[in-house]
Amino acid sequence: MASYVAFCDSKGKPLLSRRYQDDVSQSAVESFQHLLLEREQESSVMPPCFHHNGIHYMYVQYNDVYVLALTRSVSVNATTMFAFMYKLINVVEEYVKRVEEESIRDNYIIIYELLDEMMDKGVPQVTETKMLKQYITQKSFKLTRSAKKQKNVARPPTELTNSVSWRPEGIKYKKNEAFLDVIESINMLMTQQGQVLRSEILGTVKVRSRLSGMPDLKLGLNDKGIFTTNDQEDSPEPVVSSKKKNSNIELEDLKFHQCVRLSKFENEKIITFIPPDGEFDLMTYRLSTPIKPLIWCDVKVQVHSGSRIEIHCRAKAQIKKKSVANNVEILIPIPEDADSPTFKYSRGNIKWVPEKNAILWKFSSFQGGKEYSMAAQLGLPSVSDAEPPKLKRPVQIKFQIPYFTTSGIQVRYLKIEEPKLQYNSYPWVRYITQSGDDYTIRL
Amino acid sequence: MGVDKKIKKFLRDAIRVAPKISNKGELFELRNGLVSQYPQTRKDAIRKIIQQMTSGKDVSSLFPDVLKNIATQDIEQKKLVYLYVANYAETHPELCILVVNTFVSDAADPNPLIRSMAIRTMSMIRVDKILEYIEIPLRKTLVDDNPYVRRTAVLCVAKLFQLNPDLCRELGVLNDLQDALSDDNPMVVANALAALHEINELDPGSIDIKKLVSQNVKRFLNVLNECTEWARITILESLSEHKPIDPMESQEIIDRVVPHLQHVNPSVVLISVKCILIHLPNLNTVHDSIYNKLSTALVSLMSTPVEIQYVALRNIRIILDAFPNLLRKELRIFYVKFNDPLYVKIEKLDILLRLVPVDNLKHCQMLFNELKEYAKDFDHEFVTKAIQSISQLAIKVSNGGEDTNNKFLNMVMEEFVSIVQEREEFRDILMRCVCDMLRYDSDNNLIKETSKNELGAIISSWQDIDTIFTSDLGSCNYIWFITNYTNENLETKLEPLVEVFDELGSLTQMSLLMGVVKCHNAVSSAFLQKILELCTTDVHDLDVRDMAMMYWRCLSIDNGDQIINQLFDKHEIPKLHSTLDHFSKETLQSLLQELSTLSSVYFKPISQMQRRPNEVHIIKDKDIDELKGMATNEILKNMNDDVLLDMGDSSATRSTGVLDELNDLFDITGDMGKVNISQKTNNNNNNTSNSHATDLLDLM
Repeated sequence: MASYVAFCDSKGKPLLSRRYQDDVSQSAVESFQHLLLEREQESSVMPPCFHHNGIHYMYVQYNDVYVLALTRSVSVNATTMFAFMYKLINVVEEYVKRVEEESIRDNYIIIYELLDEMMDKGVPQVTETKMLKQYITQKSFKLTRSAKKQKNVARPPTELTNSVSWRPEGIKYKKNEAFLDVIESINMLMTQQGQVLRSEILGTVKVRSRLSGMPDLKLGLNDKGIFTTNDQEDSPEPVVSSKKKNSNIELEDLKFHQCVRLSKFENEKIITFIPPDGEFDLMTYRLSTPIKPLIWCDVKVQVHSGSRIEIHCRAKAQIKKKSVANNVEILIPIPEDADSPTFKYSRGNIKWVPEKNAILWKFSSFQGGKEYSMAAQLGLPSVSDAEPPKLKRPVQIKFQIPYFTTSGIQVRYLKIEEPKLQYNSYPWVRYITQSGDDYTIRL
Repeated sequence: MGVDKKIKKFLRDAIRVAPKISNKGELFELRNGLVSQYPQTRKDAIRKIIQQMTSGKDVSSLFPDVLKNIATQDIEQKKLVYLYVANYAETHPELCILVVNTFVSDAADPNPLIRSMAIRTMSMIRVDKILEYIEIPLRKTLVDDNPYVRRTAVLCVAKLFQLNPDLCRELGVLNDLQDALSDDNPMVVANALAALHEINELDPGSIDIKKLVSQNVKRFLNVLNECTEWARITILESLSEHKPIDPMESQEIIDRVVPHLQHVNPSVVLISVKCILIHLPNLNTVHDSIYNKLSTALVSLMSTPVEIQYVALRNIRIILDAFPNLLRKELRIFYVKFNDPLYVKIEKLDILLRLVPVDNLKHCQMLFNELKEYAKDFDHEFVTKAIQSISQLAIKVSNGGEDTNNKFLNMVMEEFVSIVQEREEFRDILMRCVCDMLRYDSDNNLIKETSKNELGAIISSWQDIDTIFTSDLGSCNYIWFITNYTNENLETKLEPLVEVFDELGSLTQMSLLMGVVKCHNAVSSAFLQKILELCTTDVHDLDVRDMAMMYWRCLSIDNGDQIINQLFDKHEIPKLHSTLDHFSKETLQSLLQELSTLSSVYFKPISQMQRRPNEVHIIKDKDIDELKGMATNEILKNMNDDVLLDMGDSSATRSTGVLDELNDLFDITGDMGKVNISQKTNNNNNNTSNSHATDLLDLM
């Protein structure tokens, strides 16, 4: 149980704090900035929790702020605290758009109110934005609101403490629609020679529900573990290096939104749920099946110490011809002291990004099967005072490929049933594959 | 109301007086705003005040005027005033009495939001007089119709207990709290449970939490699926502490908890893992699939935010000690990503080394290649850890795996020969690793002579040895190496260290003593004499002194030579089998029970950390100086009793800061214990920490 939750600025100075228990004094929050500095000087390994004077500090860095939780007890559940802090950031973000120093200063009242509702005595309570918005209705920035109007509105909705705590009753839409986005992020580490050291697919199924009433949804996927049908429908052949003809794939490590009936899934392997209104992540999964690089770069770097550095790069989209990769970005690291770049390239756009010590090769679209190349030359200072640090940063690649999932997962059906209203509804499905936060080639 | 009146009222409500800039100061203006006849202006003034309060300015002098605004129908304004009151109540207890009436009447307000806000704030205020009035509102809200209010009220009982346990017992609300466990609403149940746990932690005797939990296991299992994610965590936590009556019950708990391994909230996942792990040993038969499910659940925690990953990694480290077969196939997930924060990278290395299957040489080779990559990084601590991991891997493979012809061990040793040359700034850790491997190899001679000779040549060519090592461990291993593996010019090599003898760490001193005694035939007797003298007179560490005296006596008796040779005989010294450390059985058991908590992240069971101070001081507006005076007096009084108090803390609560630091010192000495130079360096923990304690006292 947390005694304090605070937002601090980029130096650790408190912006706003809320006390939940009496055993920690305000001065402990204020000393966070000094402790942070001290620890920074002490070691470059800075775990997100530490203790000082019997008070335990747990913190999360986000944009230019720190979110901080303080406690005196070591029996506090640290995972819960971190998960709560991330949830808090999410909720505040939905209220004020961006969580950063300025927006926190501007919206202190609403954040106080949220802190009040989301946690009590250091125990997390209601953290569903949809529900909070029902009774914490302040507009951010907007200061006027007639007192009369609010009088009868701001009450905790009865569903808050029900078993379906994420959806209020009485939602109405003219047109009932549900949008499904299947997004797969690829993380991959390759050597310069093209050997894949490791790869994983992180999938998310996002739902945007615009449905009236209390609809009950049932989702069917072509996953072995989830649902097996005998239908022979030909799915586009996945790029997964598998030879198996069976289009059913096995997802590992499934995680569901709290609206999904977990025990039903455990026993019958059916995904059923009453969705929250609006956008949410229905489920996530991970696949560690080996895959080959979707966008591959052959990078060669030649350093002529004291004069120049030459970089040759060939990029290839190893996807089907009719597929297109969008927003492809290839970030190649260069030494810090390199300057005066010259480029030659067949397509796209190349920029020198000195603040990242890299050059960036960008394509707005990259047709499958195509291959492009570039050459860059940068000058190096003839004398350098220290020996050059080893170039340890990898080449990073970003891309998006629409209408395509690497794993081959497909939505078979989405059944929507609202027992009382019996309306017609329209499910929409989109697929996209993109680079994860670690799609890199080691140099 | 006539239209005319309505319009007038509307206008009055909407009017906002622009704040004036006057020379009387901001506080004056704010006070004016607070008593304005226009509601909007008053509200603006309160907002302003809260803003000032947030930014750390003292606006407590406006207390009476702010209070005038608490009786309002405007919820937002009420919230703001409550916020203000909660913040300053401590410093203005006498004024708080003015609010009591409002608190009590608000606790009976038709709006549940206000009812719960009133009781929540009231139970936060450490003022005796307020607490006197809390009985009726608390009782009322505990049986409120609205679960939203009830769930607030049950937590208030724990708050009240923290402030005044006697009053709590007197009112008998603890019974109400226990009754709340059978509430219809799952959130009320969960909060009541959290409150009971808190009370149990503050005063273990006041309620029988174990009994309460075991009476309600069925109920908990039933409500589990209907709760919010946070409520689930509380309930799962209790279930994991429950001692089951028979295997059937454990089975039932596990069956119900398993689906939660797929919950999206990482904390639910980790607590479910803990709950299952704790109940698993009670089962008669365990299905393999459960281990797979646990493994995937743990793996899934590796795609959460880094802070949670860190907690998970520290916990996996504990879990692997107890269940070494988990996660066996999941080696890859723990490979370091280049954008991982350092603290995650280092934990990952630790896990990788424990997971790598020694019987699969391909995996070991792969890991070795990875580690070599990591050792080329530039961050000092990461490279240090990577280098250490390489030697740990080599020993692990050679000791447990099928390392044909010691190929792997020698390959690593050759790698070390080249790293030692290339990366001189890592001498400290390199020395330690090389020596660890040699100590592992002390009597089997698996490592090729050529590597040893090469190393010997490189290391003995180093200059300025009194400055090149930055740690005690580095220099002590250096001495061990040169006294064991080189024989020439010992005196000239050691001389620089002897010159700065009193600045050396106690491990280096010990190592110097033992090295020189061991090679007493290779050094001049004057040198030997000098070392023995230094070690018996100039040291702080009692172990070094005792050891030196013992050696001295041995050397001065007739067959001393023989005894010394016997003492240093290779075969007598216990062999080093592994450089991976493990928890003791008791520690492991407590840590498993405490998974996911802060104590598990620190690897220190709660029983080893000091308890939270139970004493409660209801602070009234005492002068800070007075408190300081009291504190200093108490410190002086207690100095003789060796009770350490933190002078920096100006509050009256007993600080445990220095005790913490002492604990840290215990840790350091614990680490030293692992060095394993030989069986004789086993430091007596008590001795060293006592001397640190005296140092600390001196400082004070």
